[in-house]
Amino acid sequence: MSRRARGILAAIAALALAPGALAVVRAMPPLGDHPLPYGDAVNRVAPAERAVSNMVTAVNFDLRGFDTLGEEVMLLAAVVGAVVVLRGARGEGVGDRPARCGSRPIPPRSDAVVLLCRMTAPLTLIYGLYVVLHAALTPGGGFQGGAIIGSGLVLVWLGEGYNAWRRMVPGVVLHALEGGGAGLYALAGFGAMLTGAAYLANMLPLGDWGSILSGGMIPVVNFGVGLAVSGAFGMLFLEFLEETREPEKGEEQ
Amino acid sequence: MISSLPPLAAAGPILVAATLLALGRHLPGRVPDVIAIVAALAVAALGALMAFRAGDGVLLHWFGGWSPREGMPIGIAFQADVAGSVMVALVGILFVASFVFAWGFFEEVGVQFHVLMLVFMAAMCGFCLTRDLFNLFVWFEVMSVAAFALTAYRLEASALEGALNFTVTNSLGSMMMLAGIGLLYARLGRLDMLALGEEAAKAAGDPVIPGAFCLLAAALLIKGATVPFHLWLADAHAVAPSPVSMVFSGGMVAMGVFGLARLTWTVFAPVEAVTEALHAVVLWLGAATSVLGGMLCLGQRHVKRMLAFSTISHTGILLMGVALLSADGLAGTLTYLVGHGLVKAALFALAGVLMARLGGIDEIGLRGRGREIWPARIAFAAGGLLLAGLPVGLMEEGATLLDAAAGAESFRWVILAVPIGAGLTGAAVLRAAGRIFLGWGKVDGEEEGAPSEQEAEKANRPLPLMLAPVAVLLLLASAVPGHLAEEAAQHAASAMMQPGIVPAPVSPGEVPERLPLGWMSLSLALLVAGWHLGRHHLPAILSNGVQALTAPVFAGLERLHSGVTGDELVWILAGLALLSLGLWLA
Repeated sequence: MSRRARGILAAIAALALAPGALAVVRAMPPLGDHPLPYGDAVNRVAPAERAVSNMVTAVNFDLRGFDTLGEEVMLLAAVVGAVVVLRGARGEGVGDRPARCGSRPIPPRSDAVVLLCRMTAPLTLIYGLYVVLHAALTPGGGFQGGAIIGSGLVLVWLGEGYNAWRRMVPGVVLHALEGGGAGLYALAGFGAMLTGAAYLANMLPLGDWGSILSGGMIPVVNFGVGLAVSGAFGMLFLEFLEETREPEKGEEQ
Repeated sequence: MISSLPPLAAAGPILVAATLLALGRHLPGRVPDVIAIVAALAVAALGALMAFRAGDGVLLHWFGGWSPREGMPIGIAFQADVAGSVMVALVGILFVASFVFAWGFFEEVGVQFHVLMLVFMAAMCGFCLTRDLFNLFVWFEVMSVAAFALTAYRLEASALEGALNFTVTNSLGSMMMLAGIGLLYARLGRLDMLALGEEAAKAAGDPVIPGAFCLLAAALLIKGATVPFHLWLADAHAVAPSPVSMVFSGGMVAMGVFGLARLTWTVFAPVEAVTEALHAVVLWLGAATSVLGGMLCLGQRHVKRMLAFSTISHTGILLMGVALLSADGLAGTLTYLVGHGLVKAALFALAGVLMARLGGIDEIGLRGRGREIWPARIAFAAGGLLLAGLPVGLMEEGATLLDAAAGAESFRWVILAVPIGAGLTGAAVLRAAGRIFLGWGKVDGEEEGAPSEQEAEKANRPLPLMLAPVAVLLLLASAVPGHLAEEAAQHAASAMMQPGIVPAPVSPGEVPERLPLGWMSLSLALLVAGWHLGRHHLPAILSNGVQALTAPVFAGLERLHSGVTGDELVWILAGLALLSLGLWLA
C-alpha cells in the first residue's frame, strides 16, 4: 500500500470508530466516582487478615499473587528472549576485556566519577534492598527494589570499569538469581499445597501490623521477586554492554 | 468441585523453567531436553486427567484460598472445564512433539530455548484454565513475550522482520485487550469472568460493555489471525524455527479463538448487542478468512509460508463455529481445533524435515528432490488429505458438527466457506507433496510469483526422532473414533456455555439436511492439486487461459501482504472499525 492509501484507509477507519468511541466515553463513570467494590473489599480484608499496611502489596503478592507470578515470568521471558536474540550472533563465550567499538578509544574515567560511583553504588544497592524488604509496609516491593538494585549494578560498571564489573557480576550468578527468584515464588505456592491448602495460600504466622516481617508469606514471595528482578536487570545490562563490544581475536564470535 | 490439579498446569512448567535457568550450564548434555520432554508429557497427562474428572463438574481452584467474600470475588480462580482441560492436553502433546522434533536443534543457546518454551507452555495452559479476566491477560502477554523471542531466534533479516511485525501488531493487541479489561472493570467492578457475566446481564443497554467487547475481540482476533487482523501471521510463522512454528500454528493461533469463545460464553452471552454483532460480523469475517486464507495458501511456493496461510484459513473455520452461537457450533470448533492443531504441527515438522534434510523450503526449487525420504512423503500426503477433509478423525467430525450448527442458520450456505478453505489448503499441501517427493508439476502456476527464500535448518539430526512425532500427531488426529469425539465435544461445549444464554433449539421435526462437506472439500483439493501437477498434459490454450484469469487475483492478494508494519497496523484499525460499526448497527 502506498503511504497515501494507508492514510486514507486509516482516516476512514478512525471516522467509523468515532461514534462508538464517543458513546463509550460519554457513558464512563465521572472522575473520582466512588463505587469501587473491589477496592473497598481489599481495604476491609487485607489489614485484618494479613496485617499489612500497604494494600497494593496485599493485592500484588497475596490476593492476586498468582498474577504476580505470571508477571515475574513475563519479565524472565523478556530477558531470556533478549539474551537469546542478542547472544545469537555472538555465541555464549564472553570475554572479560573492556568494551571496544571499532577504533573508538576508551576514555579513562575521571577520579570524580570513580569517587561518586564508589559512594553511590553501595548506597543504591542498600536502598534497593530496603525497598524490597519493606514491601508490606510502604510503597515499593520486589519489582521496584529489584530495578533499583539493577541500577546499582550499572553504577559499579561506571565506577570500576568493564573488567571489574565482569568479575563482580558474573552472568552465571545473574541467571541463578533470575531463575532462583522465580523458582522461589513458584515453590512457595507448591509448599502451601503440600499442606493441603490452595496454591500460594498463607502458611506462615502473620506477624505484627507495621513490622517488617508482617504479612505471612508476602515477604517470602516478594523477596523472590526482588531476586528475580535484580538478576533480570543485571542480565539485561550485561547483554547490552556486551553488544557494544567488538570481540578480540581468539574470542568466540 | 474444589481441586488442586488446575494450578499444576501453569505453575509446574514455570518451576521447571526457573530451575533450568538457575542451574543453566551445570546440567550435562541432553538433560535439559529430557527434562523439557518429561514436563510436557506431564502437562499432557494432567490435561487428560482433568478432562476426565471435569466430566462430573468443573474443577475449581481459588489461589491463596481467597474464595469470594460476601458474594464478591476477591481472588483469582482457575476453573478447569472439559474444554479447557482438553486444550491443556493438546498443548502438552504439541510441546512433547516439538521438543522431540527439536532434539539437538538448539544446542547453541543451551537451556534458554527450553526456558522460553516451558514458559510459553505454562502461559497457554494458564490462558485455557483461568476464570479471571486480568489473569487471562497476564497469560496472554506471557505467551506473546515468549513467542516474540522464539520467532526472532534465527536472527536473519527475514526472521527479525517477521518477529518485529509480530511484536508490534501483537503488542497493539495486548494494549487493546488491557483497555477493554479496563472498561469492563471500571463499569462492573469485577475481574472474575463469571461475576462479570452476572453483572453484565444487569447492565444491559450500557454502551461501555459492547465497547469493551470490541477491544477484547479485536485483540483476540489479532492472535487468531482473522482477516483483516491476520497480516502478521504469515511473516512470523514462516520465519520462526520449525519446532516453534509447530506450537505457533498448532496451539497459539487457536488460543485467540478459544479465548473469544470463553469470553463470549462467560461474560458477554447475556448482552444482546454483543451476541447479535458477533453473529452478524464475526461469522462473515470467519468465512472470508477461510476463503482468502485458502487462496493465499494456494499461491505460495515457500512451504512454511504456505502452511502459515493454511493456518489462517482454518482459523477462519474455527471462528465460524464460535460465531454460530450454538452448542453444535462450539462443539464443532473445539473438535476441529484439536484436529487441526495436531495435523498442522505435523505438517510444520515435515517442513522442518525438508529444511534439515534437503536444505531448502522452496517448493519449486525442491521439485523431485525429496524422493529418498519416502516416509516423509507418506506423512506429507496424509497431512494434506486430512487438511482437505478426508472423512476420518477429528477434523471431519468437527466439520460435521459445524454443518449441523449452520443448518439452523437463515443463510446456511455460509458454511460452504468450510469446504472451500479446507479444499484449497489441502490442494496446496498435496501439490507441494507431489512436486517435492514425486517430481510432478513441471509447469509452475500462480505460486511462481510468490516470495521465497533459500533457507536451511540444522542438519544431522536423527530422522527417526524428527518423524516419530509426526506419525504420532497424525495418528491422534485421524484415529480418534468420531462418535467419542462428538460426545466429548458436545459435553465440553455445553459445560462451557453453562452460564450463558440458552441457544435457540432447532424446531423439532425439521431435521436440517446435511451437506457432505468432507467429500466436497476433498474433491476440490484433488481437483485443484491435480490441475496444478498435471497441467502440462493439458492443451496449452486451456492452461494459459485459466492462468490469465487467475494470475492477477493471486498477484493482487500477494501485494496486499507486503510485510510492511504500517500496512498491518492500518488493516487492524480497519478491522476494529468494522467490529465497532457492527456493534452499533446490529
